[in-house]
Amino acid sequence: MSFFDGLKFRKVSSPIHNLDPRIKFIYVIAIFIIAIVFPQMLPLIILFLIQLPFVVLAKIKKQWIRSLRGAAFFAGFIFIINILTTFFYNDFTLTALNVENALAMTMRFVVLFESFSIFFLTTSSDHLGLAFEQSHVPYEFAFAFTTAVRFVPVLAEEAQTIMDAQKARGLELEKGNLLKRIRNYIPILIPLIVSAIRRSLELAEAMESRAWGAVKKRTNLYLLRLHKGDYILLGITILLMVVAIYVSFFVSIPLISDLLNPSVL
Amino acid sequence: MMAIIELCDLVYTYPGVSKPSIDGVSLTIEKGEFVLITGPSGCGKTSLCRTFNGLIPHFYQGELKGQVTVAGQNVTGKQTFDMAKHVGLVFQNPENQLFALSVEKDVAFGLENLGMSREEMRKRVDWALNLAGIYDLRERSPHEVSGGQQQRIAIASVLAMQPEIIVLDEPTSFLDPLSAEKIFDVIYKLNQEQGITVVLVEHRLDLTAKYTNHLIVMDKGKICLEGNPRDILCNEETSRIGVGIPKATLLYKKLKTNGFSVNKQTPLSSDELADQLLEALNK
Repeated sequence: MSFFDGLKFRKVSSPIHNLDPRIKFIYVIAIFIIAIVFPQMLPLIILFLIQLPFVVLAKIKKQWIRSLRGAAFFAGFIFIINILTTFFYNDFTLTALNVENALAMTMRFVVLFESFSIFFLTTSSDHLGLAFEQSHVPYEFAFAFTTAVRFVPVLAEEAQTIMDAQKARGLELEKGNLLKRIRNYIPILIPLIVSAIRRSLELAEAMESRAWGAVKKRTNLYLLRLHKGDYILLGITILLMVVAIYVSFFVSIPLISDLLNPSVL
Repeated sequence: MMAIIELCDLVYTYPGVSKPSIDGVSLTIEKGEFVLITGPSGCGKTSLCRTFNGLIPHFYQGELKGQVTVAGQNVTGKQTFDMAKHVGLVFQNPENQLFALSVEKDVAFGLENLGMSREEMRKRVDWALNLAGIYDLRERSPHEVSGGQQQRIAIASVLAMQPEIIVLDEPTSFLDPLSAEKIFDVIYKLNQEQGITVVLVEHRLDLTAKYTNHLIVMDKGKICLEGNPRDILCNEETSRIGVGIPKATLLYKKLKTNGFSVNKQTPLSSDELADQLLEALNK
């Protein structure tokens, strides 16, 4: 699934990878808010473009483009739904403005997806768990998060084994109508759940044996510290927010369709 | 010599089960010993390991009768996390005892739980990684290394807590023979060089019998035989229970019943047997 591929972390070292995940998260949230505040096409295009240097700096062009390609389906879906609803709503007519609005909605999704995929492509889940811990998220939650991430490949492998075993006994997964096909997966799911529960018991046992819960305030091997790059990113984020607030209050944003049509000017 | 583990008339029944899994076990393990426990599956070896750090009865509940004293502590009166400082447990499946996303962090897990300072933690983590021979892996993710390496990570992570006793419950049952041998080398080194008391539960006596002079054979929740492996592995009782007797010992027994005797101690490894045979042939 290429859509999820874009959200999968790969170990690389780059100025962006080394940034503090907390600051990166603040940046993503800022982009998120700005993208939601502006319904016009022009600022969304600008938002899209100013994130491109991050992709280049992080050397994740290939994965990033692949993830965007995965998101293209959803983007197309959003565009078509928007066009169709306005088309029927306006008694079967379409103006350039309608098309631009639909495009802007699509662009908004693309911008959101772009920033999230940059975040996940450049942040290891380990780093993220650490950020949780050091942002005073209770350790239990941070632990649950990192453990879940850690066991995704393990469970995927196990599901594959169970599937192979059941197929070897004559289970046909790709047979019948939709309802039947869903039912076909029950003999996969039950052993998977049972073994996951058993696994969690063993895990709990191992945690107990390694002094889980010995002291109230546990320490951490790693410490997140802010570096120069983090302050720069924080500066960029604040600047973006300030500009966005200023523009949204004091500047009227021209429409792309007007810019393209000189007769209006 | 000083007893570090003392069990006295131990009877334990898991909740919802009528038959006890440990049925009247008394056992003394001295400080610095390398003890090997073996026996058929379901004989109570794993349950016995769980009593050493209080997983039984705290985690599993159920009914426990008798006395368990480990490192001078009465286990039933202590929390598992208190015992964790004295007893390190390594389990069968390496995958299910590693939680973190980097090896280093996993080794530090126990120390973090104890609230240790970062500098001390760093020192101990590096020390444990070096002892287990996996210092180069420290930044890798535990799920991308081999099973043998995973098990060494698990050993390093209990080692970092500097326990007096390490209990390993079939640590090599998921590994190939070569990785298993490497694990046993690491364990033996810990016992010899660091003076850590080792309790090893294993089926692979072929590889492990040579390390110990205290072998315990369990069956049906009881200790059947206990003592020097050279005596026990020759015993008829041992083969009846279904213990994996080393090939070298089996061959020696067969030769002996056919009149060939070199009047030496029972060999536990092919090396020992080979030496004896060479000596006899050269006579």
